[in-house]
Amino acid sequence: MNNPSAATATNVSKIYGHGDSEVRALDNVSVQFETGKFTAIMGPSGSGKSTLMHCMAGLDEMTEGSVTIADIDIASLKDKELTRLRRDKIGFVFQSFNLVPTLTADENIRLPLLLGNNKGNEEWIQKVINTVHLQDRLTHRPSELSGGQQQRVAVARALASEPAIIFADEPTGNLDSTTGTEILSFMRKAVNDLGQTIVMVTHDPVSASYADRIVFLKDGKIAGELLEPTPELVLDYMKKLGH
Amino acid sequence: MLRIALKGILGRKARLVLTSLAVILGTAFLSGTAVFSATLNRTFDNLFSDVFRNVDAYVRSTQVIEADFGAEERQRLPQEIIAIVEQVPGVADVQGDIQAFARIVGKNGEPLGAEGAGPPTFGSVGEEFKGALWTISEGKFPSNSTEVALDEASAKTGNYAIGDRVKIVAQAGSRVFTLVGIASYGDVRSPGGATFALFDLATAQEFLAKPGFIDNILVSGDGTLSDEELTEAIARAIPSSYKAETLTGAQITKETQDQIGSALSFFNILLSTFSYIALGVGSFVIYNVFSISAAQRQRENALLRAIGASKKQVTRAMLIESVVVGLFGSVIGLFAGIGLSKALSALLKAAGIDLPTGGLVVPSSAIANTIVVGLIVTVSSAWLPARRAGKVPPLAAMRETAIEVVALTRRRTIFGFVLIALGAVAIVAVTNGASNTWLGLGILLVFSGTITLGPVIARPVALLLGKPAERLRGVTGTMARQNSARNPKRTARTASPVLIGVALVTAVAALAASIRTQIDGVFTEQFKGDYAISTTARGFGGLSPSLADDINLLPEVERATGIGLLTVKIEDRGQYLTTINPATAEGVFDLGLTSGTYSDLTADTIFVSQQYVENNDSKLGDTISITLADAQVKTLSIAGIYEFDEIAGKYTVSRDLIKDSTVINFDLGVYIKMKSGVPEESARAILQSAVDKYGQGTLLSKREYIDSQSGQINQLLGLIYGLLFLSVIIAVVGIIITLLLSVFERQREIGLLRAVGMTKSQVRTTVRWESVITSLLGAVVGIVLGVGLGWVIVYALRDQGLSSFSVPISSTVSILIMAFVIGVLAAVYPAWRATRVNLLTAITTS
Repeated sequence: MNNPSAATATNVSKIYGHGDSEVRALDNVSVQFETGKFTAIMGPSGSGKSTLMHCMAGLDEMTEGSVTIADIDIASLKDKELTRLRRDKIGFVFQSFNLVPTLTADENIRLPLLLGNNKGNEEWIQKVINTVHLQDRLTHRPSELSGGQQQRVAVARALASEPAIIFADEPTGNLDSTTGTEILSFMRKAVNDLGQTIVMVTHDPVSASYADRIVFLKDGKIAGELLEPTPELVLDYMKKLGH
Repeated sequence: MLRIALKGILGRKARLVLTSLAVILGTAFLSGTAVFSATLNRTFDNLFSDVFRNVDAYVRSTQVIEADFGAEERQRLPQEIIAIVEQVPGVADVQGDIQAFARIVGKNGEPLGAEGAGPPTFGSVGEEFKGALWTISEGKFPSNSTEVALDEASAKTGNYAIGDRVKIVAQAGSRVFTLVGIASYGDVRSPGGATFALFDLATAQEFLAKPGFIDNILVSGDGTLSDEELTEAIARAIPSSYKAETLTGAQITKETQDQIGSALSFFNILLSTFSYIALGVGSFVIYNVFSISAAQRQRENALLRAIGASKKQVTRAMLIESVVVGLFGSVIGLFAGIGLSKALSALLKAAGIDLPTGGLVVPSSAIANTIVVGLIVTVSSAWLPARRAGKVPPLAAMRETAIEVVALTRRRTIFGFVLIALGAVAIVAVTNGASNTWLGLGILLVFSGTITLGPVIARPVALLLGKPAERLRGVTGTMARQNSARNPKRTARTASPVLIGVALVTAVAALAASIRTQIDGVFTEQFKGDYAISTTARGFGGLSPSLADDINLLPEVERATGIGLLTVKIEDRGQYLTTINPATAEGVFDLGLTSGTYSDLTADTIFVSQQYVENNDSKLGDTISITLADAQVKTLSIAGIYEFDEIAGKYTVSRDLIKDSTVINFDLGVYIKMKSGVPEESARAILQSAVDKYGQGTLLSKREYIDSQSGQINQLLGLIYGLLFLSVIIAVVGIIITLLLSVFERQREIGLLRAVGMTKSQVRTTVRWESVITSLLGAVVGIVLGVGLGWVIVYALRDQGLSSFSVPISSTVSILIMAFVIGVLAAVYPAWRATRVNLLTAITTS
C-alpha cells in the first residue's frame, strides 16, 4: 500500500468555552489510523475518545489542528463537500438508532449509495450482505428486526460503499454479549477478509481485544498504545493508566 | 399541578406560539368579520340619521309591490299633494323628491360607477329646502332644465368643475347639462359610493321619471308642533283617495336604516358563515397540535405518573395549558381581527364592491364572542388529547422513543363507513323524492364519515400519491413517501383542513360550472341575433327603450329588439314580467312559441310559459289580471304559450302595455340581427356609434354576449373563493405546524441521515415532498367529496332550472396545482429547521 494511513489527525484540539471556564476536550492530539487495520480507541468517560472520533469523521468541528481522510484535508471542506465525504468515503456504526425506520433493511444498507445516486458495486454489496447473514431479512423494516440484526444492517451499511474508513461508536453498547460478540466478529471479518479499515470507540476491554491496535486516551491526550491486545493485556494496561 | 402546567407552558414558548397560531387565525377571522359588520352598520346608520336630520315628516304612497329578494317598487304620488301639504299649519317648507336611475358620463366618456356591480347610480332632486338631504358645498342648486349638480365624489372622479358640460343618461335618453353645483349628502361626499346627479324638480320629473309625479315629499316643520303632531296633521289633510301615508322623520330614518341593515345582514351572515368554517378548519389544527404535543411529552407525563400524579392531574395539566393557549390566542386573534377587517374592505373593493369607510366599531359582543368561542374551541379540541395523555402508563417513562401510538381500530373503520352509508341513504332518498332538507344531513354525514375514515385512507392514498416522488427523487422521495404514511392519524388530521377547504371550493366551482353550462345552452337556443347590447344593471335602470328603436332604423340592421323586465302584482304577489317588442322579436329572441304568433301579443294580451299552463291548468283565451306599479289594473287574455322560459320566465307582455302609465321601463338587453353581407367591422362601428349616443350598455358579438352572461357568476365566485382563501391559510399553517413538530420528533433520524451523507438540500427535499404529499392527499379526497357535494347541490336546485351537472375540470386542475404549491410553500420553514438539526445531539446517546 502506498499510503498506510486511512485517517490522520495532526495536533487536533477541541476547546469548549473561554477563559476560566475553558474545557479542553482534546488537547493537541496527533494520531494515524492505518489502512486495512482494526483500531480501537479506549479511555474513561470524558477522556475525549468520542470527541476525537467525531472530529476525525467530520461530524464535529475541531478548534485547532488538521485531519485528513483518504488524503483529503477536511478542515478546508464546506458543509456540502464534507457531507459528500462522509457519504462516499466514511462508514458509520453508532451505538443505537442506526437505521431509518421507514426504510427496509436493504434500503438502509444501500442508503449512502442511494443518497449519492450511485449504483455501487453490486458484487461487493452481495458479499457484504452474505458476510453479515442478512439475505433473508432484506425486505424487513428496522422495527421487525432484533437489536443484533439491526446492528448487522448498520455494519453492512457502513461497508456497502467500500469506504476508506469506518468509524464505529460503541457498536455493541446496547447489545447482549452473545450478539455483541457476533457483531465484533463481523467487523473483524470485514478487516481480515474484505480488507476494510475500522476505527472503533469502546470502553469494553473484551470488545477492544478484537482490534489490531488500541489507542488509549486520557484527559484529552493520547495516553498510550497497545498492539495485538488480549482482554487481559488491556485490563493490565488500563490499571497501569490508573483507572 | 397548576404550577407544573404553567411551568411546562413557559418552558416551551415555541410550542405555545405554534399552538396559539391556529387559535389566532381562527379567532381573527371571527372578530374581523364582526368588527367589519358592526363598522359597516354604524356607518350607514350615522349616514341616514345625518341625512334626515331636518326632515320632520315624510309622505309617500301606500301602494307598493313587493317582489322576490326584498325588492319593492313603490307607486308615485301626483304632484298636487305638495300643495295640500304646504297648507297644513306647522309646515315650514316642503320638497317633492325623486330618486331614479341616472348615469353620469365622465369627462373621458366613461360612465361613472361599475355597471351592475357596486353601488347604484341615482338621479334626484336638489333644490333649496330647509330639510334638504343635500347641501351645496360649491356653486348653487340647479334652477332650470339645463343645469345639474353632482355629488362631490362623482365630480371628482368624473373630473368635473363648475361650468363644465356633463353628459347624463337617464330614462328619457342622454342629455348634456351645465354643472352649476357640487353637493354633499349629509356630511359625506357620496352616500355609500352611489353617484348622484341632481336637478330641479321639474327637470327631474321630466328627465328621470314622469311629469306631474313625485316619489315622496319631505317636510320641514316650523317648530310649533312636535314631529308626531305635525305628521298627524299632514296625514289628516291628505284625502284618502291619494293612498298616501305620512311618517315622522324618526320613522323614515329608522326604516331606511333597517332596510340597509337587512340588506347588509345577508352579507354579514355570509361573512360569519365563512368565519365559522375557518374556525372549524382551525380546530383541526389545534386538535392536531395538542395530539402531537401530548405524544411528544409522553415520557414526561409518564414520569409524572410514575412519581405519583393521578390520571386526572395529568389530564388537567394539559387542559390548563389549552386554557392558557386559548386565552392567549383569542386575545391576539381579537386584535389581529381588527386589522383583518380593514383587509376585508380592501378585498371587497377588489371584488368590485365598494363600501364607505368610517371609524372602526368594536362592539363588546364581538370581543366577548371572539374570546369565548376561541376558548371553547381550543379547550374542546384539546379534550381528547388531554384524556389520552392522562392514560399514559407510568412504564412509558422508561421507553426509548415517544412516538404517537398508531393504532387504527376496526371500530373507526366501521363507524366511518356507517356514517357514509347513512349519508348516502339520505341523499338517495332525496333523489327518490324525499324533501331537500335531507340533503344537508346526508352531506354532513358523508363529510363526518370521510373525516372519521381519514386515518384509514391516509396511508394507502399517501403511498399512492408518493409514488411519483419516489420515481423522481430516489431515496429521498421514498423517505418522504414513507414519512407521510408512517403516522396516518397525524397525516389525516393535517390533511383534513385542506380537504374541507378544497371540498367547498370544488363544490362551488362545480355549481358555477353547471350554472354556466346551463346559461350558455339557454342563450344559444333563444338568442338568434348577431350582436347584443347588454347592461349588467339589474332591477335598477338599464337601457333606454328608444335605443332598440334607433338601431332598428339603421339600414344595415335587419332587426333589433329590446327585452326588459316589469314588476307587477298578480293576485297580490309581486311578479316579474318580461317585456318584449312583438313587432321586432321574431327571429332575434326566440320564445319557442307552441301556440300563437308574436303579432298576437298586444297591449291587451299576455304570453305564458308551457310550465305555467300545466301548473295552473289554463288555456288560450283565459284572462290574467295584473296591477301595475301605478295601481292601474289590466286584464290580459292569454294569446300565446311558449316553451323557453329560462330567460322569459312565466309571463311575457308587450311593452305597449305600459305606454299610458307612469311606470317606467328599461331594456336589459337589445338583440340585433344584421342584414346579410354587412362586414363585421363596419357592423360593429355602426352599432357602436348608436350605443355611444346613449352612453349606456356594451356592444357584444353573439359569442361575447353568451360568455358575458355565463361569466356573471364569476364575481360571486371570486368573493366566495376569497373567503375560502382564509381557510386555506389556516390549512397551510396546520401543515407548517405539523411538519415542524414532526421534524422536531425526528431529530435523531435526521441527524443520522446527515451523518451517513444526506446533504442539506436532500433533507429539504424530503420534508418538501412529505408536505406536498400531505397537501395533495387533502386536495384529492377534497375534490372527490367536493364534486359529490356539487352534484348534490345542483340536484337540489333542479327546481330552480338547473338541469345539467358539469364537473369543473379546469378548476380541479388548478386546485391540484395549488395544493402542490401550498405543499411546497408550507415546507419552506420546516425544511430549513430540519437542516439546522445538530448532528451530534442526534447521534450521541444519553
